[in-house]
Amino acid sequence: MIAWTGRKTVEGVAYAADVLYLSYLAFKELLSPARRGRGEASRVITRQILFTGVDALPIVGAIALILGLIIIIQAGTTLPQIGAGALLAQIVVLTVVRELGPLITAFIVVWRSGTAMCTELGNMRVGQEIAALEAMGINLIRFLVMPRLFGAIVAMICLTVYFDLVAILGGFLVAKVTLTIPITVYLTEIEQSLSIADVLITILKGGLFGTTIAVICCHHGLSVVGATTEVPQQTTRAMLNTVTVCLLLDIIVTVGFYI
Amino acid sequence: MAESALELDHVSAFVADTVHVDDLSLTVQQGEIVALVGSNASGKGLALKLCAGLETPAAGEVRLLGVDLAEGSDEEILRLRQRVGVVFDKPALVSNMSAFNNVALPLRYHTALAEGEIQDRVMARLSEYGVEALGDRFPAELTIGDARLVALARARVMDAEILFIDELLLGLDADDLVRIRGLIEGFRREARLTVVATINAPTGLFGLMDRLVLLRDGRLVAACPPAEVSRVDDPMVRDFFWNN
Repeated sequence: MIAWTGRKTVEGVAYAADVLYLSYLAFKELLSPARRGRGEASRVITRQILFTGVDALPIVGAIALILGLIIIIQAGTTLPQIGAGALLAQIVVLTVVRELGPLITAFIVVWRSGTAMCTELGNMRVGQEIAALEAMGINLIRFLVMPRLFGAIVAMICLTVYFDLVAILGGFLVAKVTLTIPITVYLTEIEQSLSIADVLITILKGGLFGTTIAVICCHHGLSVVGATTEVPQQTTRAMLNTVTVCLLLDIIVTVGFYI
Repeated sequence: MAESALELDHVSAFVADTVHVDDLSLTVQQGEIVALVGSNASGKGLALKLCAGLETPAAGEVRLLGVDLAEGSDEEILRLRQRVGVVFDKPALVSNMSAFNNVALPLRYHTALAEGEIQDRVMARLSEYGVEALGDRFPAELTIGDARLVALARARVMDAEILFIDELLLGLDADDLVRIRGLIEGFRREARLTVVATINAPTGLFGLMDRLVLLRDGRLVAACPPAEVSRVDDPMVRDFFWNN
């Protein structure tokens, strides 16, 4: 038991070190002034933003609308019964902007784009495409990891803000059928409940989750050695680890800024 | 005497703790066309990767185009990579890029050439290998033979000085073999490009090689011109050449 615990701890520390080192290399590459390969990397970034961000707008919008609707209907019908109807906007800001917006957006992006990144890189390893890139002198961090990191960060921040807006506004407009609060009153209350810090923290969480998704999924994709059966195994590990790390980071940011 | 393009000095390498290349020494001169010959699991594939600097030896030294692969700086290795072309046993084309963009990739990555110049160079290489009509197709839409020819075009688009080809005969039909024969004859006439290829079965292409390097269980059995193979007194060589 002690040996098992020790082995798992060592593996966990080694895994964290690998992921952090990959993050360091990717950010270093992102900020590097080197011109070589920038054009090709820009093409990959554009494709990544299109796939992770633009293509995800319908599903993120639909889930945000449903979630906003549920929260607003539940809060809008329950709070007045206990004399706290004025807290509706505050509840929405607390749940959607501070917590659920970034987290659920991250889960959608992990499920949609994280799996795609991991399987794509894993299959590239199996098909010797990565060996071929190395043989051509193409820097894997610059060509494969950094564009996915940058694309995921930009897409996650935009999608998180989009999720918050759709959940707050769309949810209210749909819930309006059953509620009696005028939209102007609702919007004024939202404006009063929402601080600049809330907006900045939701953006910060979006950026952190985007980084986590890209780096962990790229790490697992590149960890495939050569067998096709490793690709789904690494993808499953990537999903579990990304969700776990996103939840841990969410707790850290929430504790750091709100307690 | 021509300068050597590749030198292996007592090189050994392991895969999963098993010796796959054992104490291999070999020198390939510039412009020479050499085949590493052996049956499957003879270690020729790993030997090729060691030669191309894609694997690190456990012992020994590899010098490629004058650069010691263990001692070269990152910048030296990067420059070296642009002078070396590698074709893997799988075509290894980037699957979400068209054949044209695959061939253009090294030029777009390493050079600041205008797009028009890149287009001219890529089309010239695709035409040279007879696959210019396939430029718009994605790797999944190509036959293995055509994909390997596109990979060959990509390996040469930077005007590589040395070309490594793993499993030269893999996926090639009769027409492709005629094309490959023509290409090797072209390389011989050019006398500038060094070629190292692995071959795992007897073929009429042996006659086009300057030397055959015969490997068994990761060890060098013999290195000689094709005409002298019959003089090699080794059971593996007899089985390989005369029983097939």
